[in-house]
Amino acid sequence: MVKRRIIPKFLYQNGCLVKYVRFHETRRLGGAPVSTARIYNDYGADEFIILDLSPPDEDRSAFLGVIEEMSREIFMPFTVGGNIRSIDAIYDLLRAGADKVTLNTALVTDPGLVAEAVRVFGSQCIVASIDYTGVPSGRVMVEGGRTATPWTPLEMARRAEAMGCGEILLTAIDRDGTRLGFDLEHGRAVQEAVRVPVVLSGGCGGYQDCRAAFEAGLPAVAISSVFLFTDQSPIKLRTHLFSAGVDVRPGHGSRI
Amino acid sequence: MIAIIDYGVGNVRSVFNMLDLLGHRPVVTRDPSAIADASHIILPGVGAFAEAMGNLERLELKGVLEREVLGQGKPCLGICLGMQLLARTGTERGVTSGLGWIDARVERLADAPGIQIPHMGWNAVERRRPHPVLDSFPAAPPPTFYYVHSYHMVCADPADVVATTRHGVEFVAAVARDNILGVQFHPEKSQDNGIRFYRDFLRWRS
Repeated sequence: MVKRRIIPKFLYQNGCLVKYVRFHETRRLGGAPVSTARIYNDYGADEFIILDLSPPDEDRSAFLGVIEEMSREIFMPFTVGGNIRSIDAIYDLLRAGADKVTLNTALVTDPGLVAEAVRVFGSQCIVASIDYTGVPSGRVMVEGGRTATPWTPLEMARRAEAMGCGEILLTAIDRDGTRLGFDLEHGRAVQEAVRVPVVLSGGCGGYQDCRAAFEAGLPAVAISSVFLFTDQSPIKLRTHLFSAGVDVRPGHGSRI
Repeated sequence: MIAIIDYGVGNVRSVFNMLDLLGHRPVVTRDPSAIADASHIILPGVGAFAEAMGNLERLELKGVLEREVLGQGKPCLGICLGMQLLARTGTERGVTSGLGWIDARVERLADAPGIQIPHMGWNAVERRRPHPVLDSFPAAPPPTFYYVHSYHMVCADPADVVATTRHGVEFVAAVARDNILGVQFHPEKSQDNGIRFYRDFLRWRS
């Protein structure tokens, strides 16, 4: 059966990786993007996610250059998101070497773009990134968590699936950067409501949280703070999970 | 020289990067003379069957591929959708004829409780018969490769099946006939297993 996935997720801003708490508090630096991606490839991470937090009007060429360089260094799938407002923007990212792109605000403001992206690039390529606040009763937020929408995460996940998105990245803003554990209730409910895989994000504090998410039926988790600010690595995490009987890839690194 | 066929679908850069890592200088091309000069042919692919087949026909690549692969017997690797195109028939967005090099049909993965579609992630590849490109991997535990797909190949002749994988149902992970090899997974996204796979593909029949 398909292995449970552990996916490092990093945010990009002004040339380096950054990390916040609950999206906007306590900015911390997280290192250089390309060398970090390379390290996680060497650790044998299952995939990699990088989201661009630059202002929407900023020139995209520096970020595209980072993606292009990254694709030469890593031999695992990687998903890229942030400020994607057109088919051309998706085309540029895929041509630079991204395997999948995430759409977030467009799910609400431009569903036509999402459907067109699915038609042009295929479902497998288009990931719906759904951010929400308010545990337990969730409210989907867009524009980097700044703008509220009328939707619950469950409703938005169903809509995203109906638009043809091939995967859902589900992020609990309230848990982001806190290491207090995933919001398993929403994770479980959303995965039960859709056929496409859900990647649970926001709040991972370590191995126990990954295990709990996988036991709740999630096929994948995204992790950032634990990797950036503790001594945990994908190898350690997987070794723990593997010995606990969780169906992950064994805990050795890539030999690249 | 290795030709990566550029027919307007999929991420050809990652295949290029992998071969580059192995010290080769592949060409990404739709030019018949470059394809005729190549020693190995790679048919990549992400996207939908009908559009991909339409592109191969519109770019007049079907003829040159048949000459070089079926006529000249050059080693040919189809990846993901590139593997599915080897089949006689696709059923994604309507019934479409494929290249027909393998007697097979491409169908949607069956729904099953607790099974997510697309099949996305790393999964074990179990060999069903020897093949030079997969023989260097241990039989147990079976190697894992990265997958992302919603359709799979159903072979008419079981002898064509080289390896299988389970995702709810068991499906064909690798198919081969003579100089043709197709894999449903993405070796260029499969870290060290992928490197080994491409190394052995480039040694095959050369």
